[in-house]
Amino acid sequence: MRRKLMNCFIFIIIAVMCVNMSGCIFNKKSEKASADQQPLVINLEGGDWGYPTPYGHYQRGPGIFKMQLLFDSLLQRGEEGLIPWLAEQWEVSSDGKEYIFTLREDVKWHDGQNLTAEDVKFSFSYFAVHPPVFDKLQEGKGNLVAAIEVVDEHTVKIVVETANATVLERLGAMRIIPEHIWAKVDDPKKFNTPEAVIGCGPYVLKAYDREQGAYRFEAFSDYWGPQPRVDVIQFVPVSDGILAFDQGEIDLTSVSPDLLAKYEDKKEFALKRNPAFWGYRLIFNMEKRPEFKEESLRQAIAYAVDQDELVEKVARGAARPASAGYLPVDHIWFNHEAKQYGYYPERAKELLEGKEYAFTLLTGNNNAELRIAELLKISLGTVGLKVQVKSVDMKTRDAAVKNKEYEMVLYGHGGWGNDADLLRSLYAREEGVGCSPSADGIPGYTNARINELCQRQLREMNPERRKELVMELQAVIAEEIPQLPLYNTTGYIVYRPEKYDGWRYMFDHHEVTHNKLSYLEFK
Amino acid sequence: MDKRRQVVGKLKFTSRLALVILLVVILFGLGADLFAFHSPQLPSGPALEGPSRVHWLGTDDLGIDLWAQICQGARISILVGFGVAVLAGIGGGLIGMLAGYYGGCIDRLVMRTIDLMLVLPDLLLMIVLGAFFGPSISNIIIVLSLLSWAAPARIVRSRLISLKQEQRVTAAYSYGAGFWHLTRYHFLPELLPLLMVSNIKLVGKTIVAEASLSFLGLGDPTAKSWGIILNHAINFSGIYFTPYWRWWVLSPLVALTVLIAAIAVLSRDIEKIINTKI
Amino acid sequence: MSQGLSRKIIEYALTFLVIVSMNFFLPRLMPGDPFTFLSTEEGSITIIYTKEQIDRYKAYYGLDQPLLRQYVTYLARLGRGDLGYSIYFNETVGRIILNRIPWTLTISIIALVLGGLGGTLLGSLSAWRRNESMDQGLYLIMIVCSEIPTFLVGVFLLFFVAARLRWFPLAGGITPFANFKTGFARFNDLAAHAFLPIMTLSVTRLADFYLLARNTIINVLTKDFMRTAQAKGLRKRRLLFRHALKNALAPVVTRAFLSLSTVFNGAILVENVFNYPGVGRLLREAVIVRDYPLIQGVFLFMTVTVLIMNLLAEVVYKQLDPRVN
Repeated sequence: MRRKLMNCFIFIIIAVMCVNMSGCIFNKKSEKASADQQPLVINLEGGDWGYPTPYGHYQRGPGIFKMQLLFDSLLQRGEEGLIPWLAEQWEVSSDGKEYIFTLREDVKWHDGQNLTAEDVKFSFSYFAVHPPVFDKLQEGKGNLVAAIEVVDEHTVKIVVETANATVLERLGAMRIIPEHIWAKVDDPKKFNTPEAVIGCGPYVLKAYDREQGAYRFEAFSDYWGPQPRVDVIQFVPVSDGILAFDQGEIDLTSVSPDLLAKYEDKKEFALKRNPAFWGYRLIFNMEKRPEFKEESLRQAIAYAVDQDELVEKVARGAARPASAGYLPVDHIWFNHEAKQYGYYPERAKELLEGKEYAFTLLTGNNNAELRIAELLKISLGTVGLKVQVKSVDMKTRDAAVKNKEYEMVLYGHGGWGNDADLLRSLYAREEGVGCSPSADGIPGYTNARINELCQRQLREMNPERRKELVMELQAVIAEEIPQLPLYNTTGYIVYRPEKYDGWRYMFDHHEVTHNKLSYLEFK
Repeated sequence: MDKRRQVVGKLKFTSRLALVILLVVILFGLGADLFAFHSPQLPSGPALEGPSRVHWLGTDDLGIDLWAQICQGARISILVGFGVAVLAGIGGGLIGMLAGYYGGCIDRLVMRTIDLMLVLPDLLLMIVLGAFFGPSISNIIIVLSLLSWAAPARIVRSRLISLKQEQRVTAAYSYGAGFWHLTRYHFLPELLPLLMVSNIKLVGKTIVAEASLSFLGLGDPTAKSWGIILNHAINFSGIYFTPYWRWWVLSPLVALTVLIAAIAVLSRDIEKIINTKI
Repeated sequence: MSQGLSRKIIEYALTFLVIVSMNFFLPRLMPGDPFTFLSTEEGSITIIYTKEQIDRYKAYYGLDQPLLRQYVTYLARLGRGDLGYSIYFNETVGRIILNRIPWTLTISIIALVLGGLGGTLLGSLSAWRRNESMDQGLYLIMIVCSEIPTFLVGVFLLFFVAARLRWFPLAGGITPFANFKTGFARFNDLAAHAFLPIMTLSVTRLADFYLLARNTIINVLTKDFMRTAQAKGLRKRRLLFRHALKNALAPVVTRAFLSLSTVFNGAILVENVFNYPGVGRLLREAVIVRDYPLIQGVFLFMTVTVLIMNLLAEVVYKQLDPRVN
């Protein structure tokens, strides 16, 4: 009896294992079959980033780009700059306060209705009352838009409170939502029926599985614009990107520099290097430690930090040293003549004049930040600056940055490629104008020249003159160096060009999969 | 001293081996600087190298000697393990003794709390408390002690209650013996072996808990415990394809397994011996 | 009996209240709030809210009210069964947890059953042949297995079985968007994804039950009535199964109920290792982004389940072992 039971038990276990293994083989076959059929299906690394409506996607992560596949905007970010999208052309009045957009006439919503100027007017008014997650229209406590007028069925006039150089981009970045659906929605955050994802973009959301973190987008057949080259985009969960890419589960992934050799010089793979729009910086809190107000101390720190060592050891070569003028090497308005410091510890010692200081460096708890902190501690130690590293989790560190509870803080974020106005939010100290938390960035620091240049570049409507101002601004920032940008990560991606090769970057972003144009036939 | 020698003498071969392993780990932990010739914090060689004469276990992705990190990890494990065992074991034992001795509502309150603590899933609490207190080794020791004092307290309390009934204790009490006298001469000799067993078990559990926390990324990243090394190794992108995993992943894995196994075997055996004597 | 039971229920209710209160206050005492995201993981992006936007969101979620008022609202909502609305995931907490529970419960229960059955069987075998070499060896292995943290086993399996040998998928609970022609195919896929997490969880359970069964049966075997039965000449197998196991049933079954708490602990780790869409992974994500309602909801769910299991364990024990008063 006992033996029979044992046998039964063993048999069951073996049977279950056999069934599982046959199941795996069975599954692989069915996946292969679908790849041979006609529609082009691209699989990418998934993750749950929220239901892709302007209110439903999560604040953090690439959810916004999934939402942008479904919803179009007036302007689109192209490879060199802004390109006309829903708005065929636009006019700016001489005082810079009135923007007249002429819309395309053949735009349809996913449910078949036509897009008109009423929808545009509705979108902006609705956003003023119910701000979406990604909201570029807020201006302090109020809204950028003072008034909107529908001139005719395909023309809209938007009047803004104050004229400045960033208005066009901000207006152009807002998504257009259908009036006939959203007019009856009072609580947009809780609106997550299938109607909520009806937009006028090139793709339609067919499936969203929150627990698995999986999405499925299919091309919209009636799309007004450049036709989608990819018929189906699927985002699937993976544990390790390289492994999944190797097994054909996904069609593009990022590669660490150590593994490049696997894919280099092989015809079936293509490698691309991302532009450097994500980076780490070191902020000095001049309120807590007034010693940082000495320019010589800050410059000494800049000379004492070996950026190349950080790039080599922490980023393993997949990064570029950051510019002291903040805007990174790949930014369209990068000033390559701004002062760069390099690694000169003797000059640092000279500037310090033999004085010794001790600081606390606050950092997060991810691998790279800890490594950077360790290396900084060593190099600053050699010139007489004692650094004590304190590591906390990301949220705690962010709260400390917001509340200015640190002496030196190290953290990393993206968006280094955004419009040059970010310099104003980072470096200028002004009253009243809406500053975001990371923008009140350097506690205790204010510089008249920087403040003046920031204001002037904001008001300058002529792009050429504005570019000159921004160049000058970077030069002053590099000289003053009130915070120290460390390096900008690049990273590599690998994909199979035979399957699909339309990947391209926007002029200010570091990921090809986030770019709508990657999936479309766009010259 | 006698009793201890008796216990050690009765250990089986496997437990003696386990004891040796434990002592070796303690030795390496306490004397980490002596046994490792390179620093566990500074890069001392090219990154991602295999084992060589200079670097016995190779280097990690920053070029820091892996053997030095393992020794450092041993120290952290010992520190945390014994730190918590002392705090929770002695603290819990004291609470249990007081509850058992005085009885009444103090006892009831303590019992309710103990039941509560034993019921809650402790990893859950650790994650939330860990995020609250912030990840540093001293905080981790405090949090783990807060979560572990219940088990020794309960053991000590029940033993004390049965001791209280014994004739020699009631006799001494009737002669006017106070709490401290009773403790020194009557309670402690009985309780110490129990405490020793539960302490050893606590060390094992704590090392596991600390490794779990570190593995989840919630431990103290500046103190390189084995869990942290494992966490870094696993999260290195494409680790499956590189030959680095052989020493980078396996060394902390094997170290953890060996230490935990040794403690487990040792504690079972000691428990058996002490139980049979009682 | 009923008085004792009602007293027990009151005690459990008090415990529940303490847990709920702790549950409320603890996440809020953590530094950081749900809306401030300044930094990201490498290569990732986030939207940074201005102070005005954060104030607006705080008002929307009721986080700007005094703490005590939030507490009272929380208790009131809890009474109605409303667990709140997740700030980060933009969905009611109840629904999020409900969607993830089946995944966690499946692997936990199957692991418990497999581990329990296997462990008990092996344990009885071992007890029957106690002190022989097989028993000694097995005993040693099982001691080690019972202490090893689940994530170590998980990492080991992930590396060798999933990554190197490629027998099982590395992540997820089911292949997304696959069109399964038959229910059987779907079951296959689910099983393939669940296999490794279940194996990982059951290893520790197996060892635990083995040790318990072995000890209990050894105790039973040395009792007098067993010797009588043996002297009567009953066949070995009948002895073992009819008499020994029946008497050992009570502690084993109650242990099964009580070990749910440990299995939950294990599930948290295992789900993170294998990227399995259960409640354990949800908790870690919620703690990282400080989503208070969700942290509270998951914590509450787990502790309530464990409390209920404990209550059930006591009831079942009384039924199985009438000797206990």
